[in-house]
Amino acid sequence: MAHVVKYHPSISLLEQYSEGTLAPELCLIVAAHLDFCPHCQTLHRDIEADLGCDLAMQKAPLADGSQWEQMLDQILSAEPVPRDVLSKQQALHSADNKPGGVSELLVGAHRFTVPRSLQRIVAKRNKWLTLGGISTAKLPGSEENHLSLLCIETDTEVPLHTHKGLEITLVLAGEMVDEMGHYAAGDLIINTPDHTHTPKNIAAEPCLCLSVLTAPLEFKQGLTRLLNPLQRFFY
Amino acid sequence: MLDPQQRSGHYGAEISLQSRPMTTQEITPAIAAGQWEEALAIVALHRDKSAYAELFRYFAPRLRAFGIKMFGNEQQAMEMVQDTMLNVWQKAALFDASRGCASTWIFTIARNVRFDMLRKKQSRKDDISADDLWADGDYPEQEDNQSQQWDVHLVAEKVAPHFHALPPAQRLVMEKVYLDELSHQEVSEQLGIPLGTVKSRIRLALDRLREAIDGPRS
Repeated sequence: MAHVVKYHPSISLLEQYSEGTLAPELCLIVAAHLDFCPHCQTLHRDIEADLGCDLAMQKAPLADGSQWEQMLDQILSAEPVPRDVLSKQQALHSADNKPGGVSELLVGAHRFTVPRSLQRIVAKRNKWLTLGGISTAKLPGSEENHLSLLCIETDTEVPLHTHKGLEITLVLAGEMVDEMGHYAAGDLIINTPDHTHTPKNIAAEPCLCLSVLTAPLEFKQGLTRLLNPLQRFFY
Repeated sequence: MLDPQQRSGHYGAEISLQSRPMTTQEITPAIAAGQWEEALAIVALHRDKSAYAELFRYFAPRLRAFGIKMFGNEQQAMEMVQDTMLNVWQKAALFDASRGCASTWIFTIARNVRFDMLRKKQSRKDDISADDLWADGDYPEQEDNQSQQWDVHLVAEKVAPHFHALPPAQRLVMEKVYLDELSHQEVSEQLGIPLGTVKSRIRLALDRLREAIDGPRS
């Protein structure tokens, strides 16, 4: 990918993603960022290695007693999965097209490539609603975290808005600008309620984004910094 | 290689499970390098039940402790242990030592099992599953040159005040590398942790320091 991702999740957010303790919708947007960002892929793998080491070094009582022996016997009586089935599973997992997913998305006349982590959920989108150059389609989310796709046409401005919770946006294709920066594919933007902003698409191509809106939150000082310090890895 | 005598010689006496006293006291693990990776390879190649049993006796109680931390109850923790260890038995052939330690692989299975258990409970597994979220280590290997570039910057005095804010495990590794000037290999030997973990901790610490120095946007 020619574009170098500039806006990344914080390490703290990556850690929660690697642990699997982050809310599923937020996990998904981080996973999609990783699909674009080799740097965060490496960090994620490092965090996993660290967590694996924690697991191995954890103190624990010995696995003796009938409960453990029973579980062991039960597992050993299970048929091993044949090697060809395993390699087929693995091939499916790393395939460009996820089973049950879509690898391409058509919005109006525009065709977009869908990153791997989003292929299944994008297949479940609601219908597009369009209003003056901005189209949105809801994805299955939760009560706390609303997930949607957002497509901004060329020369279109999203009306000035604030939000009561966090607004997390991942650019999937195209470019956009707001008062704070210029974003392109893979960039992750986190806005808190005290940010008012007017994202604009001033490029020649439409801009496709994934957005998560969280439920209203009580804010602590420094939360934005914790989530997204907007580190720049390449100067 | 499959002769159990030879294997236990390879692993070192302190981790041979047969010779462990059968008590329930907490034990501090001592892991020989490559021990569990080799056990997984033997399970994958030969469906070797004794090699698996060693893995099981080591990891199952640790996964249980991890599960109790995550779920807050024993029943779900044990369900997670069983499902995770079943995966280890059935899918050992998928383990690729070039991508990381056995413990990392087992951790990722447990994390995914736990995630899908929680989703299933909410009947929402189908919307987002662990499979969508974690790519199973099949991202291409990255060139490891970024940390090197940053080594130079690290010398800068402005980094020092942020050192204390690093997590203890990362700080320890950083001190050994940058203050005591030990090689990564020496740190690995001194602390009894895998070389890959030393490198991981350095990269994580460097990124944390970078985050601390770059500062927030607003």
